[in-house]
Amino acid sequence: MTDESGRPEAERLRSSGAVERPEMGTLRPGRRRILIAGAHRKIAVELIGRLLEYDSVELILGVGDGACPAALVNHDSRRFMYRSASLDRRRQVDDLFLFDQFRERPLDTVVHLAFAGNPKGYDVRRHEYNVNAARHLLDASLRHGIGKYVFLSSDSVYHVGPRGDYKVAEDAELDLDPSSPTTVRDIIDAEFLCRAKMDHPHCEVMVLRPAGVIGGGVLSGLNLLFESHPPVLPIGFDPMINPTSKERLAQDLLLALMLHGKGLFNVAGLTAGPLSRFLEDRKIVPLRVPGPTLRAANKLQRLLGQTRYHAEYQPRRLFYSLVLDDSRFETTFRANFEALDATRTG
Amino acid sequence: MRQSPARMRLRPDLARALLPESERARVEAYALDDAGHGTDVFGTSTEGIGSAYALAYWLHRYYFRVVSAGHENIPRETAAVVVGNHSGLLPWDALMITTDVFRHSEPPRLVRFMVDFFVYRMPFLGVLFRSLGQVPGTRRNFDGLIDEGHLIGIFPEGAEALGKPVEKRYQMHSFSHGHVELAARHGVPVVPFGVVGAEEQHTMITNLEPLARALDLPFIPITRTFPWLGPLGLLPKPVRYYIHYGAPLFIDPAALQSLAVREHEVERVRDAVYEQIHTGLEVRRRAEGNPAR
Repeated sequence: MTDESGRPEAERLRSSGAVERPEMGTLRPGRRRILIAGAHRKIAVELIGRLLEYDSVELILGVGDGACPAALVNHDSRRFMYRSASLDRRRQVDDLFLFDQFRERPLDTVVHLAFAGNPKGYDVRRHEYNVNAARHLLDASLRHGIGKYVFLSSDSVYHVGPRGDYKVAEDAELDLDPSSPTTVRDIIDAEFLCRAKMDHPHCEVMVLRPAGVIGGGVLSGLNLLFESHPPVLPIGFDPMINPTSKERLAQDLLLALMLHGKGLFNVAGLTAGPLSRFLEDRKIVPLRVPGPTLRAANKLQRLLGQTRYHAEYQPRRLFYSLVLDDSRFETTFRANFEALDATRTG
Repeated sequence: MRQSPARMRLRPDLARALLPESERARVEAYALDDAGHGTDVFGTSTEGIGSAYALAYWLHRYYFRVVSAGHENIPRETAAVVVGNHSGLLPWDALMITTDVFRHSEPPRLVRFMVDFFVYRMPFLGVLFRSLGQVPGTRRNFDGLIDEGHLIGIFPEGAEALGKPVEKRYQMHSFSHGHVELAARHGVPVVPFGVVGAEEQHTMITNLEPLARALDLPFIPITRTFPWLGPLGLLPKPVRYYIHYGAPLFIDPAALQSLAVREHEVERVRDAVYEQIHTGLEVRRRAEGNPAR
């Protein structure tokens, strides 16, 4: 980006004193200091483990609500620290960037994984938490000179229906239906906050839309369906999906954090196929019910404790295909994995 | 990724009963890009194609007794848009075109028709169509198929043309513009075809339009046999099909810049389709005399 005289924007801002900390820039060189919000999530635990395998990662600050998860307490305390904070409180978010450890060498990367779903119904507190946490974390990141900000969104933001494309690219129609679940709208709100800052000159703002995760005990809708006893599906429908795994998603997040790039990206699993084939591969036998009775059957299952899956959350997902096209992520990030892997020590 | 040999096998009972050895070999030779779970990314499965072809081959040869010509106009390997007339209450014409091209192309090629969305709302039907390689008619789907070098089938008259009344047989509805625009954008040829015979397989008396609108369907037919004989009334008469493929048409790229050019190109395709219908009618007249009613 240049001004009228042809000088780079960053240089002009530095010379005018508009930038308080001129050394701050997009992914400055040297070892990385990373803040991970939502450290309780299983994907965060996996990601932290992977990041610590890299020499180029100096320090990780895990942030969650409550005590440090058991899976994280054994990490080297010189490279990993944990703090509890309410991300919907602006002051508490700001304080995360002001610890003594970051006085000389501040944080340079932020990952926002702390999103609270609530498929049970409208909940203003949850909505405020989701949207305000995204706003405060992003604002604080930009104020404190973060070079890379990654928000983990979801594929639930896409509109799903019989007019579906065989592969859904990042510019596909979003689920803006007023009757869509509030959690989906919260995710879209948070995404839009990030997208409004994507042209920031000093911070690479990224939004990742992952496909549903299967396995690893994660709380994704798809995994909850797979963990049901039995999964209840509509008769006569078998949507195409390309789910990912906890390990693959953590790897994709790692690439997003460590390599240059900004914007909106789908991330998906390696293979695509009908939902029934994924169930067959895991020797899971679903129960089929007529489509109109699916929600009632799901409700009954939840009452009986047979499932934690909410059919109301994405009612069309069990009827119509959603295969994410992540070719942009593939060419921008996964294709450069080898360069990053050279710095791995674990 | 190519499909594993285990997925390439046909249902042996069905295939052995209905397909001769040479045709079985053709189906097994059909290469499908496996997306990892026995289907391609569109949801097409070799099992689905194989089973459907076993039945469709029989229909093609013994029920509709298809007479076809002009297969040399279909590209052997590259992408193309196959465009023709639509009729006959249920899309048996699409099935016969797909089967005819599969039978007469070397290596075998699958025509993937762009299908109206209502099909995918229906239980079983949507899954069936998808497993046979027929995809919802969206631009992205078209782009994806063309990029992978497939043959794409389009009926520019739309699904409504299936419900043509008796007095409008072999009169085509107006053509939509999408096929011309997309062919121009991708620089692929349009292969016109004409189907003769499908128009006579049912005698449409009227269309229950208000009910069709309420159910979001293109039409609900009243024919001489439906609904009086129940679902059996939807079985087509065993009318012989005459299918002719015309020379590929290359669309003027200016169709992307000018509405007048696009309309002209659409008319050119429509005329070419009509020419193939006319050829088919002429061949039938010589072979059978007056068309069956």
